[in-house]
Amino acid sequence: MTIAVVVLLIAPLLAGGLSLVVHRSAWLHGINLTSIGALVTAETVLTHMVLSDGPVLALGELVYLDALSTFILFIIGVVGLACSFYMRSYMDEQVARGVIAPSQLNQFFFLFHMFLLAMVIATIANSVGIQWVAIEATTLATTFLIAFWKRRESLEAGWKYLILCSVGISLALFGVVLLYYSSLHVLSDASQGLNVTALLPVADRLNPQVLKLAFIFILVGYGTKVGLVPMHSWLPDAYTEAPAPVVAMLAGVLEVVAAYAILRVRVIVDHAVPFAFAGELLTLLGFASLVTAAFFILIQHNYKRLFAYSSIEHMGVAMIGFGIGGPLGTFGGLFHLMNHALAKSMAFFAAGNIHRRFHTVEIEHVQGLAMAQPWTATALLISGLALSALPPFAAFPSEVQILTALASQGVPGMEFAGTSGMVTVALSDQFSRVALASVFLIAAVLSFGGLLYRITGMVWGTPSEGIVRGERWTLGHLPIILLTIALIGFSMFLPQPIKKLLEQATSILVIQ
Amino acid sequence: MQGLSSVGSQLVDLCSALLLLTCFAIVAQRRLSACVDLFALQSSFLVVTAALVAYLTGNPHIYIAAGLTGIIKVLIIPRVLKKVIDHLNVKRELVMHVNVPTGLLICGGLVMLAFFIAQPILPLGSLLTRDSLAIALAIVLIGLFTMIARQKAVSQLVGFLVLENGLFLGATAATYGMPLVVELGVFFDVLIATLIAGIYTNRLQDAFDSVDTDRLTVLKE
Repeated sequence: MTIAVVVLLIAPLLAGGLSLVVHRSAWLHGINLTSIGALVTAETVLTHMVLSDGPVLALGELVYLDALSTFILFIIGVVGLACSFYMRSYMDEQVARGVIAPSQLNQFFFLFHMFLLAMVIATIANSVGIQWVAIEATTLATTFLIAFWKRRESLEAGWKYLILCSVGISLALFGVVLLYYSSLHVLSDASQGLNVTALLPVADRLNPQVLKLAFIFILVGYGTKVGLVPMHSWLPDAYTEAPAPVVAMLAGVLEVVAAYAILRVRVIVDHAVPFAFAGELLTLLGFASLVTAAFFILIQHNYKRLFAYSSIEHMGVAMIGFGIGGPLGTFGGLFHLMNHALAKSMAFFAAGNIHRRFHTVEIEHVQGLAMAQPWTATALLISGLALSALPPFAAFPSEVQILTALASQGVPGMEFAGTSGMVTVALSDQFSRVALASVFLIAAVLSFGGLLYRITGMVWGTPSEGIVRGERWTLGHLPIILLTIALIGFSMFLPQPIKKLLEQATSILVIQ
Repeated sequence: MQGLSSVGSQLVDLCSALLLLTCFAIVAQRRLSACVDLFALQSSFLVVTAALVAYLTGNPHIYIAAGLTGIIKVLIIPRVLKKVIDHLNVKRELVMHVNVPTGLLICGGLVMLAFFIAQPILPLGSLLTRDSLAIALAIVLIGLFTMIARQKAVSQLVGFLVLENGLFLGATAATYGMPLVVELGVFFDVLIATLIAGIYTNRLQDAFDSVDTDRLTVLKE
């Protein structure tokens, strides 16, 4: 058990160190794949253990793994593996074309492994404080990855990302300090005061006022990293400028890890504060993100920004699910996090392929993708359909679950809006549920229309002169096929371990 | 003992107030290198506060945090920033989004806001450091405001560091320091963040021939 946890930490650390000294690109990719492979293996072992024996504490209570964190690790592993395969062809081509010097490959892989390591630590840390340190470390590791091409635009995007996320994260630290402040009066051993395992049993005795304030700070702080409106302004820029495999990691994993950090604190807060408090805040930010993103998707002319706004939209949807809560909403939210991670990493793989062939991010300048790059065109269509939450893709059931939860349960706390007599209460409650469900549907339909309209415009038609036609098979196509299978498969049949993980994670987040 | 703790509490309050005062000085200062000096001064007040808290409460691990603050925030970071400023072609903040008097007024308002927010939770704290949490929140808000009001990458960085000082004051004064592992991690992050931002400033200078973040407008809708 401890061995698996150690492997989880050592693999990226060792790989990061080796990446700095090895010079052959084949070796660099080999190290990367080995490390990711070790990570996924350790993750599988741990999943098995958590499912059979319950939560795991390791390394002197520094590490705490339950179904929720194992589920997040699963997403990190899958998307990380897909990215590693994709990087093989993507990065080598950049070197061959002379966009980057071969020595920069070392830097790239080092930062990539540090990024992975920070995310793994953020997921398995027992202490909320260490989790904060790790999430800030992800910002530091990725800012140079975003600015990797060193163009003016990418420098701008990297700077914006560094400053906005650091500030956001600092606010989250203030929330962590407040959380600690509240625990001092209750826990005898102060050094345990930030551990989830120590806080949860006594959570109902923590001071509600302090916890409310702490949650607001943490939500705003980590919400910046999730990319929730109105803290999202760094996200479209960063997603446009960063290399495709990095964006796939940012969109597929980092957002999920940040959302996980919010959920961890939320469970503690829910014990002391009425459920409606955190629920309303999450739903509010969720709707703000969903509606704003739907609007920007409609007016978008840049395909990478299109997918960036679609990320904001889907994170909004997941937050609405968590905000409504209950078994259905929470399950839907978690499931949606996974589906979005799979579909979005695939979308950015496709986007990376298109950019390498067409050398533009303008949607108008890309035409006839089906002729130029048939594989990529298929991947783009599939990810577009999956991101529009159409059947038979897995985002469809998860979005329907969240919508059902919204329509049947309504936003927690909303039913108390009108207190003057039974009739008004019933009416306003029903009215608000219908109204919110309609807003949700309209926004979803708008983004569906916008996304598919843009994508089909790129796929059909004839490519302009000078664009090479035909696509050679590379290792980078393997993850696209595997992700497609997962996206379609998960909508019809969820494998038993994943289903169990999801159910147990839901029961951790839902307080009876 | 009673007398000692009331004097101690006064001293901690005094130091926290001095920290807040340097915030106002930073907001009023246009010269970049003076801003960095003021930040170093503020950090040394922070060291004194932390050492006081460590002495009065008998928590030795706060001494470690105080020492690290001294090394990183009083010595290393100001030097790095000075080097960065030497490399720049502009030494002063020429255009501000908010002029100095208005900025100071806004900061006064932010202090009131911080006390208003923190009022309900202050009575929970120990007597020694009761008001420091509110002051810490005020410093965090002023740091945020500085980042918004200034244009130069360096001044934004100073705003960020001021914000971090506020956080550290909050952690030390209100909770007698967080667990040591966490404190160490936070220091590490702040140090790396500053170094990275310093590298960025140089690259921005080379690419845009300016560190006005207003020039960063290539990317927009």
